[in-house]
Amino acid sequence: MILGLILAVIAGALVGVQNIFNSKVNERAGSWATTTLVLGMGFLASLLIGLIFEGKHMFSLDNMQPWYWFSGLIGVGVVICMVQGMKLLGPTYAISIVLTAQLGFALLWDSLGWLGLEKVPFSFTKLIGVLVIVGGICAFKLGGGRETEKVPKMT
Amino acid sequence: MRGIIFAFLGGAFITLQGVANARISQDIGTWQAATITQFTGFIAALAILLFVRDGKWQGFKQVKPLYLLGGAFAAVIIFTNVTAIQQIGVTFTVSAVMIAQLGITFIIDINGLFGVVKQKMRMPQFIGIGMMIAGVIILGL
Repeated sequence: MILGLILAVIAGALVGVQNIFNSKVNERAGSWATTTLVLGMGFLASLLIGLIFEGKHMFSLDNMQPWYWFSGLIGVGVVICMVQGMKLLGPTYAISIVLTAQLGFALLWDSLGWLGLEKVPFSFTKLIGVLVIVGGICAFKLGGGRETEKVPKMT
Repeated sequence: MRGIIFAFLGGAFITLQGVANARISQDIGTWQAATITQFTGFIAALAILLFVRDGKWQGFKQVKPLYLLGGAFAAVIIFTNVTAIQQIGVTFTVSAVMIAQLGITFIIDINGLFGVVKQKMRMPQFIGIGMMIAGVIILGL
């Protein structure tokens, strides 16, 4: 439990820093050049670290299913939706909706156990927890007091 | 309305991406999953870039080299995210990732790190972070 939480916190902190770096690139190079660079860098880094830890084993893809190749396209969908959403709504509202949808789907996914992930039973305590977090997101993002905002998250 | 749909789908896709990565990792390993999915994404983004021709490659030269490396973080992000999902489930993982992300952005903003415009945080932001942490504690009950 604690290990899982620590890993999630590391992931989140890195996402935060990465978003800032990416937005700096985005300002100069536009969203598609940035997305291409970001995914290319992520690919190279994953390949390199994978080779260090797993060696030859990196290339033995025994249980590979065809759709695995295409799941990378989800990331492209993320970029399109984020860029359009922010253009139409402004970053503050767009990000608030994005974060809320993220959490809502997470709860749905755990409850239904789609795609063969371990099912985590739904409970009202969980729903209340998610609603409190959503309230926190709204207070943070829509509560005012901050002038400028950040750009897309691409992971 | 269109903006709301885009933003909503964006959030749904981000969660789906984490879940798909966790699922694929079960079968072929996490580093393999991270490598393959980002390779496909890279090819697709490159194709779109060439198609829309908004490529301002010269722009890369005007950015501090450090910032160009941001994408490499994704290797560690995917690995930690997938392992967390496998250990504590999607809801818990997404919540903790989100809070850490807003928290670090908060620290960067109030200190004006990495050349971002320094921002003052007021009461609503502190209340917001407090509520989010309270929510995660409720999730863990």
